[in-house]
This record gives sequence, structure tokens and C-alpha cells, in this order.
Amino acid sequence: MKKYFGGCDVGSTYAKCVILDEEGKIVAHTTIRSKINPTETATLSLEGTIAQVEDLKSIQDLTYLVGTGYGRNKVPFADENISEISCHAMGVHVADPTITGIIDIGGQDVKGIRIDEDGTVLNFAMNDKCAAGTGKFYEAMARAFEMPLEEFSKLSLKAKNVIPITAQCTVFAESEVTSLVGEGKPMEEIAAGLQVSIAKRCFVMAKKAGTDGKITLTGGCAKNDGLKKAIEQVLRIKIAELPIDPQLMGALGAAEYARQKGLAQK
Amino acid sequence: MRDLKHIHFYEDLLEQANNDLVKKARDEGKTCVAYTCYYIPEALLNLNNSFSVRLRAPHTGSLDISQYYMTSFICGYSRALLERAFEGGFNFVDCYFSSDTCQQMVRVVENIHELNLIDNPKFYYNIIDAPMKLTEHGNKFYTNQVKTRFLEPLRDKFGCDISDEALRKAVEMHNRMCAIFEEISELRKAENPVITPREFHILCLVSYACPTYLILPYLEETLEDLRHRQKDEKNHWRARVVVVGSEIDDYTFSEIMEACHCYVVADRYCYGSIPGRQQIKLNDNEPVLDQVCRAYLETNQCPRFMAQEKVQGRRDLIKKLVEDYKADGVIYEQAKFCDFWGYERMLAGRVMAEEYNIPTTQIDREYVVSGSGQLMTRIQAFVESLEIKKIQAKRGNDEKERNS
Repeated sequence: MKKYFGGCDVGSTYAKCVILDEEGKIVAHTTIRSKINPTETATLSLEGTIAQVEDLKSIQDLTYLVGTGYGRNKVPFADENISEISCHAMGVHVADPTITGIIDIGGQDVKGIRIDEDGTVLNFAMNDKCAAGTGKFYEAMARAFEMPLEEFSKLSLKAKNVIPITAQCTVFAESEVTSLVGEGKPMEEIAAGLQVSIAKRCFVMAKKAGTDGKITLTGGCAKNDGLKKAIEQVLRIKIAELPIDPQLMGALGAAEYARQKGLAQK
Repeated sequence: MRDLKHIHFYEDLLEQANNDLVKKARDEGKTCVAYTCYYIPEALLNLNNSFSVRLRAPHTGSLDISQYYMTSFICGYSRALLERAFEGGFNFVDCYFSSDTCQQMVRVVENIHELNLIDNPKFYYNIIDAPMKLTEHGNKFYTNQVKTRFLEPLRDKFGCDISDEALRKAVEMHNRMCAIFEEISELRKAENPVITPREFHILCLVSYACPTYLILPYLEETLEDLRHRQKDEKNHWRARVVVVGSEIDDYTFSEIMEACHCYVVADRYCYGSIPGRQQIKLNDNEPVLDQVCRAYLETNQCPRFMAQEKVQGRRDLIKKLVEDYKADGVIYEQAKFCDFWGYERMLAGRVMAEEYNIPTTQIDREYVVSGSGQLMTRIQAFVESLEIKKIQAKRGNDEKERNS
């Protein structure tokens, strides 16, 4: 039977799972909304991914499984857990080895990561407990704008001006946005202000980690077009596009670590 | 490994500042002298009629009241102390000796005094002006402050003997305790040590948080136990680090390190053993007070000392610790809003990595670290990067050997 290797990234808002074959080719992947219980989330995510591979009947059929993300130590039957920082670095390296820097915006944190030439971490910086600039922040803002997240992420692209947002705190930013909307300010300009404020936060993380060269975005917020544009303006760089869904990078890195370790066990 | 002798007793002692040994000492009529900082010479506070307690606020919850008095831009340790005083947790304190090491700590003492928070009729406090440079003048000034603001009030108000002979006895007792830690610290140099970071942290904390004369017999028994302890067969430590930075009085921090299989070989943080648990060698030619005060200033590693020789000395010490304890890297940690360690962490963290070529990471943290998943992620990521570097170095050496 062929060998398969799994990476399960249990994030605070989404769980992602990737299965690789022995050659490192992605044979299955899943992204699901996280539940309150990380073990249940991981199980659902793994089962959903395994169901896509004919040779696999259960989680235990995986030769090696690595858990990552905030729920990394709750992944059932995992052989090991590896921090999401290391996994994002490896995932991006697998996707595009020429990339040397990452801005990862997950559900509850923002990270800057500098990658070594072999996909390991050279340096990193990470936000604290504050939710400013994270996926949770965007969810709160989309709620304040009364529109789906996807629609909100594109809203700022239409803006002709930027209305600066003073508050970084998720709660206060939401109330500032509500006030601005109440004053009749253009929604797209408020959205642009929000994107710039988050881009500045990303700038700090990227600089703290010492990222340079080719930089990409990972995590769910990498799909946020407005944020991407704002980051390009603030960092004065062109964000490198990944050939694989940027939200999958943590799980892909975990699966690649699983593949390397699983094959080394021979 | 089997449980270390007295470890559960020590854990119980750390559950509250007013622990069983503190209560026992007070029941014996001794004066409780509280302090918070290395600028306060602990070795001189354990006199015939007094004992020292380095203050902590275990199980800190909401900090609303202290935040009202001191704002949220103050380190969590300071706020937690004031909050605990509001909660009545420091009523056992007879004397509170502080220094203007940072204005945050001064504000704690002043608020405690102004708001009359210690329900103890004997309560007395004083604050010294600590020097920022290591000079002859600064030394004299500091010594005089310790004498007039700490020792003489202890004599005049609490009946303590502060004669040269009494101070010498106090230092001897201090040295007995330090000798224990010096021996235990040596054990941490082993590849697979017989003491864990959590255990060492606990031992260190009880030595600060309990009356020296009462905790000493227990620590001596623990040391004896360690001398014969069998190490685990498997070495499960993935990386060895020196931790450098501001106040950590909660061993949860070490538990997080252990959960990441990260071994703390040396603890150069406030409340750690470096400095603080090294013997003070006395000569017979000078007054004990002068010698002790000089020793405290010379060994003080607080970034409040801004003279270039002290700045360089701090970096050199970390380099030496890395070499002596065979560490793979350094973690610079800083309690949020600790001004001095904020600067030191940013600058020294880079210098160690870029000029000394020592893998270094930086973390800032809350006073209460339990439940901090992000802290664990950072430490784990650092451990993983150190581990990979070791594997790569080993591969390189193996290849060299094969080729030669």
C-alpha cells in the first residue's frame, strides 16, 4: 500500500488538513469552520480529508501525522505536534522555495516569519493576546458593516480616499466604525482606513522578524484583497502570489514535516 | 524521575505569599521584611529578629483596582502587588523596603502607604534612591541608604541587632542557602540533568518567598536527595536555553518551557538564581555592610544600570552562561511595560544574535502566564529552530568526518 502523510492545522476559526503522498504531491485537502472543541474539529477535518483518498480508511492509516495550530496538541492519533510558525515556513517553502518572508494573519494572531533556505524558521515575531489585525478582527468589522466577509474584504478597493481609523482594539475599532458610518462617511473609505491600520500592524511584524526579499501572505486573511493591496502600499513591496491556497500553508507544512519524518522512519 | 523530596510541600508554600513558614516565623515573634528587588540586600534582612519575604501575588485575577490607581501602562507585577494589597493579602508584612529601581515599584509602595492598605499597626516602609552607576561615590551613597533607611529602622523600631557580628551571621546563613543553589546549578550543566526547570524554579522561588532560617533545612534535604537521584533514561530535552529578563515569580513559565521540551539551564531573570544565589565572600578587614552592599551593586544585572561597562558586562555574562551551561540559545523575556527590560530586550536580543552569533528570541509577556497559548507557540517555534540547527550542525560534522 502507498504511504500517505497528514498535516492537520487546527486554527481558532478554521481547521485545515492536507494529505501528501510519498512524492510530496497534495492528494487531498479540506478546510472547515472550527468548532469549540479542537479535538472534534481535528477529527472532522481529518475524516473529511481521508474520505477523499481511496486507499485510506481511517486516520490510523496515515504513515505519519503532524498536528499544528492552536489546537495542535489535540489532534487525535498525531505522531507529533509542531508549531504553526515552523509549519507555515515549511508550507510556503514547499509551495515556492524562492519566498523568504511570510506575513501570516490567522484567526487570532499576526506573525512575521523569516524563512531559511531549507524551509526552517530563521526568525519570527508574533502579536500578543490582542486581537487587532487578526481574522477575528475582520469578522467583527464585517459584522459592523453588515456584509459578508468576502464582500467586506473587497470594499476598500473602490475607495478614492482613506479615512484613518485611530483605534487598534477590535472592540473600540468597531465602535469607531459605527460612529463613522453614522456620520455618513463613505463605507469604502472607512474600510480602506481599517485595511491600512492592519497593514501597518503587519509591517511591524514583518520588520521585527527581519523579513526581506520575496514576501507572501498566508492564513485566511491572505484572501483579503483589500488587505493585500494595503500591505503592498505600506510595505512598498509586491506580495508574492502562492500557487496553492494560502490558507492551507500551515497544514501543508505540517504534512511535509510528516512526510520527511515518516520517510526517515523506514 | 521520581518526585523530588519536599517538592509538593514547596508547591503548597507558593500558593500564597503568607505561607505556612511565614506564619510560623511571625508566630515566633519575628519581623517580616518584604521587598521586591535585587537592589534590596536580602542577605542583610534575615537578622536575629527578622526575616525576608520577596513579594509575589500568586493566583492573580482581575487588576481593575490597581489599574484605576496606576493606569494600565504599568507592569503587571506592580499592579498585581497593589491589587493583592487591596485584597488584604499582605497584612502579614511588618516592613516594606523598596528602591526607586523603577517608578512603578515606588508607586506600589506609595499607594500602599497612602491608601493605608496594610492592616498591621506596626507597618513601616522606606524607599532608597538606588545608584545607576557603579562608582565609589555611588557605592557609599547606596551603603548609607541601606544603613539609614533599612537597618537602623529595623534596630530602632523592631529591636533587631544590626551589629557587624549580627550582619556577618546573616550573611553566613545566606551563604549556606546559596551554597545549595550553587551545587544544584552545577547539576544543570549535565546533558540529561537530574533536576527539571520547573523543580529548580520552585526551589528558587521558595528560597525567596520563605524565611531563610526555616526553609534552609528543607532545601538541604532536597539537595541531598538530588545527589542520589537517578536521571531519566531517555533525554527528552530538545533544546537548552538561558532565560534572561524581568521578574518571573510563577513557575507556570517553567512548566510551559518543559511542555516544549526546552531545558532552562540558567535563569538570569528577576527572582531567578543569577544573581541572588551566589555566596558573598567576606573579608575581615572591612565592615560587613560595606562588603555586602558593594557585592550587591557589582553583581546587579538590572538594565537600570546604564553605564557602558555594565551594559557590556550584562552581555558578556549571558555569553558566559551560554558557554558554561552549554546552552543552544537565549530567550530574552520582558514583563509588559517593564521599561528597563523593554530596552534591554530589544537591543541585547539583537546584539546576542547578530554580534555574538547566539540564537536568540524575544518574548514579552503578561504577569500571569498561565493559559497563554501564544507564549507556548513562540517558545515551541524557537525550540524547533534550535533543534533543527543542532541536527544540521551534526549532519555537517558527520559529513566532514566522512570526507576526512
